[in-house]
Amino acid sequence: MWRYIIRRLILVVFVLLFITLITYVLFFVMPPTDPAVLFAGKHPTPQVIAQVKKNFGLDKPFYIQYLLYVKHIVLGDQYGWPGLGFSFTTGKAVRSLILEKLAVTFALSVGASIVWLLIGVPIGIISAIKPGSIYDRLGMGFALFFVSAPVFWVGLMFLWIFWYKLHIAAGTGYYPISQYGVFTWANHMIMPWVVLALVFAAFYARMVRGNLIETMHEDYIRTARAKGISERRVIMKHGLRAALTPVVTMFGIDFGLLFGGAIITETVFNLQGIGLLSVQSVNNGDLPVIVAITLVASFAVTFMNLIVDIVYAYLDPRVRYE
Amino acid sequence: MRRSPKGSALFVFGVAALLIATACSSNNGSSSSSSPSGAVKKGGTYRSATSSFGFVGDFDPVGEYTAVGFSYYQMLLRTLLNYTGQAGAAGLVPHPDLATDMGTVSPDGLTYTYHLKSGIKFGPPINREITSSDIKYAFERIDSSSLVAQYAFYYDGVIQGMQQHSGPPKNISGIDTPDPQTIVFHLTTPTSDFPARLTLAATAPVPQEVAKCFTKPSGGYGNDIVSSGPYMIQGADQMDPSSCSTIKPMSGYDPTSHLILVRNPNWDQSTDNLRKAYVNGLNMSIDSNVDDIFNKISSGSLDGSFYEIPPPTVLQKYSTDSSLKPYLHVDPQNTTYYISMNLLVPPFDDIHVRKAVNWIIDKSAIQKAWGGPSTGTIAGHIMPPSMADLGADYNPYGTPGNQGDLAKAEAEMKQSKYDPGKTGKCTASVCSGIILLNRNEPPWTDAEAGIVADLAKIGINVKAREMESGAAYQTIDTVKSGAQVGISMNPRWGADYGDPNTFAQPLFSSDSLIPVGTSNYSMVGMTSSMAKKFGVSYPAGGVPSADSQINACLPKTGQDRTTCFQGVDKYLMEDVVPWVPMFWANQVTITSPTVTNWAFDQFTGFIALQNIAVSNTATP
Repeated sequence: MWRYIIRRLILVVFVLLFITLITYVLFFVMPPTDPAVLFAGKHPTPQVIAQVKKNFGLDKPFYIQYLLYVKHIVLGDQYGWPGLGFSFTTGKAVRSLILEKLAVTFALSVGASIVWLLIGVPIGIISAIKPGSIYDRLGMGFALFFVSAPVFWVGLMFLWIFWYKLHIAAGTGYYPISQYGVFTWANHMIMPWVVLALVFAAFYARMVRGNLIETMHEDYIRTARAKGISERRVIMKHGLRAALTPVVTMFGIDFGLLFGGAIITETVFNLQGIGLLSVQSVNNGDLPVIVAITLVASFAVTFMNLIVDIVYAYLDPRVRYE
Repeated sequence: MRRSPKGSALFVFGVAALLIATACSSNNGSSSSSSPSGAVKKGGTYRSATSSFGFVGDFDPVGEYTAVGFSYYQMLLRTLLNYTGQAGAAGLVPHPDLATDMGTVSPDGLTYTYHLKSGIKFGPPINREITSSDIKYAFERIDSSSLVAQYAFYYDGVIQGMQQHSGPPKNISGIDTPDPQTIVFHLTTPTSDFPARLTLAATAPVPQEVAKCFTKPSGGYGNDIVSSGPYMIQGADQMDPSSCSTIKPMSGYDPTSHLILVRNPNWDQSTDNLRKAYVNGLNMSIDSNVDDIFNKISSGSLDGSFYEIPPPTVLQKYSTDSSLKPYLHVDPQNTTYYISMNLLVPPFDDIHVRKAVNWIIDKSAIQKAWGGPSTGTIAGHIMPPSMADLGADYNPYGTPGNQGDLAKAEAEMKQSKYDPGKTGKCTASVCSGIILLNRNEPPWTDAEAGIVADLAKIGINVKAREMESGAAYQTIDTVKSGAQVGISMNPRWGADYGDPNTFAQPLFSSDSLIPVGTSNYSMVGMTSSMAKKFGVSYPAGGVPSADSQINACLPKTGQDRTTCFQGVDKYLMEDVVPWVPMFWANQVTITSPTVTNWAFDQFTGFIALQNIAVSNTATP
């Protein structure tokens, strides 16, 4: 098992290197704009552009820039380890910028994922064990609605109804625990959590329902019932365990993906997280931030994949890693 | 300013087409001096939000070249001369600020001498009197190339000894500081708008003891600006300037989340005639959700907007509801949106074709695409009314309802060599397949179909190419790639300061024709030898120049200067015809009833943060 994990971790390093290379190539081969010109002002004279390029390190051939970037990641730079450079737009160290924004995205993702699991999985189970019932219809109606409703619309509606009209929820913005305390922080996070969770909850409800219905028709469930085990135990211990394995995979990937930022939710609720930062940096041609976010997001996805694979081994006795 | 974030904010306007076209007309160009509720009193905080600071120079005054940045500097920084922070042409007239008077100019126009008011101190933690050396140091910073002073061209080559160099700031031979209260500028050539150039934030005094620590491009002085104005960045008093390693960014500014300004205890109202400084401070936060900003204004948790243009529904509500109308402020900026024709590219090398294009374009449709009259006034000529106003009556290609005139366009086209059959249509082969460059975002894209159809009416068949704003600019500010583009509707131009030359030399002088980064997109004044050097083909009929007309105005001052540049505008419109001016832009701001004194700064083109008053009791 440990050999497997180490092997996978080494693979993760290569995947990440490859992703940074791709990002670099895309940035230099594809872009319609030269970031140096963007920061050279209204009269971008060749001298000013050249100076901006020099300041940003864009005056070197791109492969040299890339090698320097990799070197800084491995050995660190003036801002610490891993060296991610400085943002063209704000002049701030990308490392601290990412950490700051990651805290917001992390708070959003963890909270939302708890909410969607708490909503989605029970709805799926109830729908599956009473297919065709009023609960099933209501549950699937909920799922259909939130799968179809765009997040930005749900977010704006929630804001309009619960904050602007009813005044029962707090408005937008992120209020760090360190400055405002847990209550204010959570009060401002509830709506984003719920809004982001609803769409996922809808998917999870449908998935859990489908898997569980399929599992409940398996031979070993019939065997379990034949042994006289209570229906509750059959469902929870035998049915759900098998039905949840694909959900674990999906959860791992979804949770990892959120580290790339829940762009729409963050924008609507003005949460200054990774998602917003990624949009801003793409708009501004802020290469160091773009590459860093890509790195964080890919690391999160690959890492979560690894966790999923490990968890799988425990959930499914047939899976063993060598 | 070309790089102001207005471009992205204008995005929302595309959707507003037609919706508010009539509703806002009564507000067009108006700017109330105060909101109806309450008397003007000191105190409170202007609470606002913006989707992005959009800075291009890390907020360091030496390099920051956005109108938005200039707005904040009006609260933070004082310069030798500055503006009153009011709307209209009066808001573009420089007045003494740190200087005791408008200075003295030597008879040859080469030496400018200014005396500083005594007793003006830097804000905390420096707390010492501002001297002429601090202003000179600001100029020295402009020439240190690693700091990327984006408008150094206003000073380099103009003040003796000023030119870019590598390494830290060093002495400039053309600036003398005979005593701490006196500064003398020696110019290389008479420059009659030189006083206006002393209003720009890069020339504001900078204390060397702090700024010397910031010679690298990242983590710059923008995080630790030492105030000379009525406000300072929150936390400035906590900064420890005893050594470079102890200077940490001030808490009140984080480029990704907020800018909080509080009163500078060292500012003395008696030394400052230009700023009212009613509010105790400014709280500007970043809010990525523009709808949310306007909801917060409506609910009273914010006092007003900044540069963001209100979403169409909000604009409609404020322009139709009479109880809300007083809180909608529509103010003309110093910006022209235009279509540029490249004088090197057939058929636009023929003035008759260019005139025909001016006759045929339906400007009212363009205005509608932009969101109606509140967005801007239809432009009959190049320079906006705040610069060198020729008056609304002067419109050499005026048509009924500004909808274009096919008969006049055809009559003009018949005189062109590209219409040999006198059909009124451009029939030569060069009239087809011309590239029309555009931005890839509304409202530019909304206006495109109308312009393409208008041009087709006179036989000019264009292929529209849409690009991201920056890429579009790069295409036409590079002479060689610009020569592939016959006509472009992406550019706009805003003045840096209140002088009509800002709308002449950079845009139409042959001096500004450089291989990369020119702003003379029409290539006015290009000679055959220059064309050869740049590697572009040159039309047989030549290219008209406006150099002599512009140069004749440069030494003039006062009304003579304005009148002279009005002549340049006329000459350009009738004898050169490089543009189709589309409209002069307005800034639309919405405030809450808490704003008791509304003020618009013509210089920055945005709300005058230094002169507004609020009735709230919020602390910054």
